Amino acid sequence: MIRYLVRSTPAHVRRSRSLYVLTVLGVALGVGAVLSIQIINGSALAAFRGSMRAVSGEVDLVVLGRTPVFPESLYVAVTGTPGVERAWPMYRTDVAVRDVDGQFLEVYGIDLFQPVGLPIDSASGDVADVLAMPGWTAIMPELAEELSLGIGDTLVVSAGSNTAPLRIGGIVDFRRLAPLASTTIVVMDLAQAQHFFDASGLINQIDVRLEPDADAEDVRAVLRGRLGPAVDVLTPEQREQRAEGLLAAFRLNLTALSLISLFVGLFLVFASTQASLVRRRTEFGLLRAMGATRGQVLALMLAETVLLGTVGVGLGLALGYWVAATNIDVVSATLTNIYLLSEIERLALPPRMFALASAIGIGGALAGSLGPALDMARRDPKHLLSAFVLHERLHTASVPLALSGLAIVAGSGLWYVIAGRAWQPAGFVLAIALLAGFPLLTPLTIRLATTPIRVRDFGFTYSLRGLAVRLRATAIAVAALAVAVSMLTGITVMVSSFRQTLTVWVESTLLADVYVTTESWARSTGPAPLDTTFLPAVRAMPGIAGIDLVRTFTAILDDRRVGIGGVDFGAGLPETRYPFLETDGPDPIGRVHERGAVIISEPLARKENRWSGDSLTITGSRGPVTLPIAGVYYDYATEAGYVTMDLMTMDAVYGPGPLSNVAVYLTDGADAERTLDAVRALVAGQPIDVRSNRGLKREVYRIFEETFAITRILQAMGLLIAACGITLTLLVIARERVSELALYRALGALRGQIFTLFLGKGLSMAALALVLGTVAGSLLAVILIFVINRSYFGWTIQAHWRWGTLLWQDVAIVAAAAAASVYPALRAARAPASELSRADL
Amino acid sequence: MATIPDQAFAFRTVSKTYDSFATGTRFALREVSFEVASGAIIAVVGRSGSGKSTLLNLAAGIDSPSSGSVLWEGRDIGTLPDRERTLRRRDYVGFVFQFFHLLSHLTVRENVAVPDLIAGGAGAGYAARIPELLGRVGLADRADDAVDRLSGGEMQRVAICRALLRRPRLVLADEPTGNLDDETGRAVMDLMLELVRAEGSTLIYVTHSRELAALADQVWEIHSGQLDIG
Repeated sequence: MIRYLVRSTPAHVRRSRSLYVLTVLGVALGVGAVLSIQIINGSALAAFRGSMRAVSGEVDLVVLGRTPVFPESLYVAVTGTPGVERAWPMYRTDVAVRDVDGQFLEVYGIDLFQPVGLPIDSASGDVADVLAMPGWTAIMPELAEELSLGIGDTLVVSAGSNTAPLRIGGIVDFRRLAPLASTTIVVMDLAQAQHFFDASGLINQIDVRLEPDADAEDVRAVLRGRLGPAVDVLTPEQREQRAEGLLAAFRLNLTALSLISLFVGLFLVFASTQASLVRRRTEFGLLRAMGATRGQVLALMLAETVLLGTVGVGLGLALGYWVAATNIDVVSATLTNIYLLSEIERLALPPRMFALASAIGIGGALAGSLGPALDMARRDPKHLLSAFVLHERLHTASVPLALSGLAIVAGSGLWYVIAGRAWQPAGFVLAIALLAGFPLLTPLTIRLATTPIRVRDFGFTYSLRGLAVRLRATAIAVAALAVAVSMLTGITVMVSSFRQTLTVWVESTLLADVYVTTESWARSTGPAPLDTTFLPAVRAMPGIAGIDLVRTFTAILDDRRVGIGGVDFGAGLPETRYPFLETDGPDPIGRVHERGAVIISEPLARKENRWSGDSLTITGSRGPVTLPIAGVYYDYATEAGYVTMDLMTMDAVYGPGPLSNVAVYLTDGADAERTLDAVRALVAGQPIDVRSNRGLKREVYRIFEETFAITRILQAMGLLIAACGITLTLLVIARERVSELALYRALGALRGQIFTLFLGKGLSMAALALVLGTVAGSLLAVILIFVINRSYFGWTIQAHWRWGTLLWQDVAIVAAAAAASVYPALRAARAPASELSRADL
Repeated sequence: MATIPDQAFAFRTVSKTYDSFATGTRFALREVSFEVASGAIIAVVGRSGSGKSTLLNLAAGIDSPSSGSVLWEGRDIGTLPDRERTLRRRDYVGFVFQFFHLLSHLTVRENVAVPDLIAGGAGAGYAARIPELLGRVGLADRADDAVDRLSGGEMQRVAICRALLRRPRLVLADEPTGNLDDETGRAVMDLMLELVRAEGSTLIYVTHSRELAALADQVWEIHSGQLDIG
């Protein structure tokens, strides 16, 4: 049989090129979608891991602050702990490069004598000499090239309002230690970093190497007891898991979307295999008649699928890599803007990822072809050799199929209402049930939609009426397109709802006229202190209604990194800045200001399941403090969550600290532009950003659009696969129905009419898929908005159907279907009338 | 080419050849010439592979001769571009096939209306003719039935109605009873001849049955691509 396979396959491929091309394409697009997302997801974590390993080397334990910094006195406690061989303190801060817009660096103040063996190429020849050189810094060779810097040059950076002239004293190639290390890593001496960035006596990490015979868990327990609750003692793996947790929802959603594309691709494989096998039924009949067993015939069919799947996987791997490579920037921007993680500079391409994608591709191709192959293998030779009609079985099965589909959708909905709500992945179960159940409605929908149609012309109505003739082929194509449409509709509605909700939120919360912060603040997990010496001059300006003073940083709450904000609630500014989802009574802001309560963002409330009336235990600089929650407010700035308190409370919990943001409110009629210019003049030359209300909003919306850019790529891939499904179906119809086409030609139909007829078939399928897909997509949108988003991101999104966008999207789908129909229509139009004589209709 | 208005249909030394590497040039039809007056009924008999279907395809203008001319009312259709030939075929030719070739997704009435739909009509122009034709073949009460509910004989009667709908000058029937039992075949043939005569159309039908051939005005025999008009 292997010899038969080797000899027959090339001939079949030559005869049915389009069919095989579409099978390969289905696998390739599905694998491409999955692989690209896996590469992007993997690279996001690898970038974090790479930077961590580059600087810390192979350590056994890491001591991290639950607040941005902790006193370096803890270092002594670490080194004195039994089992600790060595330890190195570290101070890390994010800085902005002056005069290079949008360039941020990660400065690590480290012990340059640590035995990690930093690959530094120092001009001074001896690392010890650098201690005597103020601002000595080593940068990565890639950064040196990008910024045209050489040994001896000076690089001015800012952390908050502090600026530091860094002198390039060496080139450090961390990529020799960790190939995925970020090129934005900058190292300098710890003491110098503390000095430059106003952090004397403070560090935020201690790397620990244990004695060879020490038990890591034992030492960890001892260290936790010694160091107290202000810090966490983690293994490197636990630290990576924390980063993974931060990105979990983001990664899961992208993976789910890519799997939908794969699912649509499987429809294509199913349809093309089905068509190919039906065409070759006589061949299989002959093989069976000549003594081939069912198993041999089945193996022949599946082996051919594996061959095609392998080609598809090969293309899919290339496609996946290309999609990942071309979209890495937008995903990287999301990581840095939203999650404050390292940007992705290089793709992580572990072989196991390609192995997994290959397995998914081959497995998917087999899954897609198994049904048709089994169906063909179980038939007896007599049946295979006769002109049987395979498709008609679907007519009788259409009602049970539809009932099954409804049962799946309704059953999953019922399960969710009764038992599934509390389970986080329940939303995905609902979405899968929807996407699996809805396609089963397709055969009946086609029948119901086409049977009552009165044929009025040899055009659209005639095409529509003819859809039920090859119900199996058309149902699969319509179902595939419907799944793609539902994905498009669901995500479009979700994104537009999110956009609308964000707009309402932004308009109600961003009420100030001028926003002032430091250049490094947007990327900083630390305090990013803002020099507020300009404030008295601002207060003296005409038309100032009030000034919001804000201090922010990130901290660890339980095992979650959250934003902490201190606000001067006594300034009498609009309380609508915090639109409340719920409160424990009237005047929550009053309780925050006067009684030391906190308000928390909705994502944090949902993830921690804490609501107003509950309390929150925060680890401050003086230990744990329990604060009452006065309210939960809507917040879409970060999914990690946010705790907001009064500045006085913050000072008490974390100790006094610098402000990081200032917002200026003007009286009605005051000239915002003039104030903006005046504030900019006050801080001229300092690393401070001054933005108008409009400018800040524009930035918010830009980041929003960037975040969903990769989603749109996946949507496009899903649509492309579905369009291929239409091409495939019409090609199959053109081939199988050559006799019918010949009849039309014999009866006087022009080639143009046949072309139009096929175009009409494509558009009819698109129309039906649009109806089904829009219904399923609307339900999917409801699941995405009200179930998945809430459970994974914690956001309340107001559903908003943007009809204009949906209409344009539908136009694009119809256009794609029309484009997909052109080639088969041309093929059909060329069908000669003389083909009529023998074939049946 | 001179026109011959008194003749409905003519072949002038028509040959149809097929070339292949294996067998060289093979004649499916060899220098066939005939003229058929309007309203004539011709039966063509011959063995399988003798060239009967080729003759019908060339007569219908759905295939082109390798040499010679096929004339419809004096016009050589071989010289017409495909579009023009197709448009003329709509008006000039009606078909009846051995396997009926009805469209299973359409009702009886809709199947009969297909030639009109193709010609750009919406059935309105033939609103009265369709039930009339169906009535004449005894299927008036089956107009809205699905065609797959009909018997073979009924299907062929629907096909005859479809062929005659637009009052074609020439009706071509390729073994119209070949898929029916003898009794039904005879009944269908009688009905077809009756209708064609009533419509005044020219009919050329291919059959294996000498008995059914005898019902025609003339019987032509075809052997290895050569026509014996007898």
